Amino acid sequence: MTPAPVYVTRKFTFSAAHHYRQPAWSDEENRRVFGALTVPHGHNYALEVTLVGAVDERTGMVMDLAELKRLVGDAVIARFDHADLNADPVFASGRIPTTENLVRACWDLLAPKLGAERLHRLRLWEDPTFYVEYFGS
Amino acid sequence: MSAYRLTRSYHFSAGHRLASAALSDDENARLYGQCFRPHGHNYTVEVTLAGTLDPATGMAGDLGELDRTVERVLLDHVDHYDLSSAVPALDGVITTGENLARAFWGWLAAALPPGRLERVAVVETANNTFEYCGSRSLR
Repeated sequence: MTPAPVYVTRKFTFSAAHHYRQPAWSDEENRRVFGALTVPHGHNYALEVTLVGAVDERTGMVMDLAELKRLVGDAVIARFDHADLNADPVFASGRIPTTENLVRACWDLLAPKLGAERLHRLRLWEDPTFYVEYFGS
Repeated sequence: MSAYRLTRSYHFSAGHRLASAALSDDENARLYGQCFRPHGHNYTVEVTLAGTLDPATGMAGDLGELDRTVERVLLDHVDHYDLSSAVPALDGVITTGENLARAFWGWLAAALPPGRLERVAVVETANNTFEYCGSRSLR
């Protein structure tokens, strides 16, 4: 029998600016749909990265958290911290930097580094009242 | 099928260090970094029960009873102890969050009615959480 897995979650924070604008729409339509979000503003984001895996019985760990910190730091935090999300290539083609789109972008950056089978869930907090979870496709 | 999940949080403070008996001090220091040094945490343990609603009480689980069980089988054995040297039930266990979550699951599952325990989470710091739910999958 395969041993039951353990879920390991580490939290990271970054601060970034964004605004919502659908380029296919008029200014008026953008204001009607997105309201105050059309104005550039920013958030202190928190990203919870949950891994799933068997415990390595030699180390007692699913993954070395220092290594996780380095991977997420390089792939996501260094890229988005104190950045304008609208200027990032991910959001350059009219993809609006909503929390939904940002968590999916984080997934696409992390899954190749961590392995899609090991990455269980991303939970992205836009502020202390709102988060979006993504489990991959 | 249990329609409700109830989660209660508990706290304890304990010392520990991460070290494998199979490795030298140098190897342990390299593998575990700062965690090889004796240190401690204010741990939070979240215990999630599955249950169905008792219409007479309006409750799907008795939290008072859960408190007494958690205190007896878990907190009394770990609060203000050194997890890596002073807890017989953890002898030979490297006290990572992963291993603690599995160990606590075992202690609690044995003391609770069969099938009630849904999840155990060990929150080591505000940034690190380790969850175990046996053969279930976590959502």
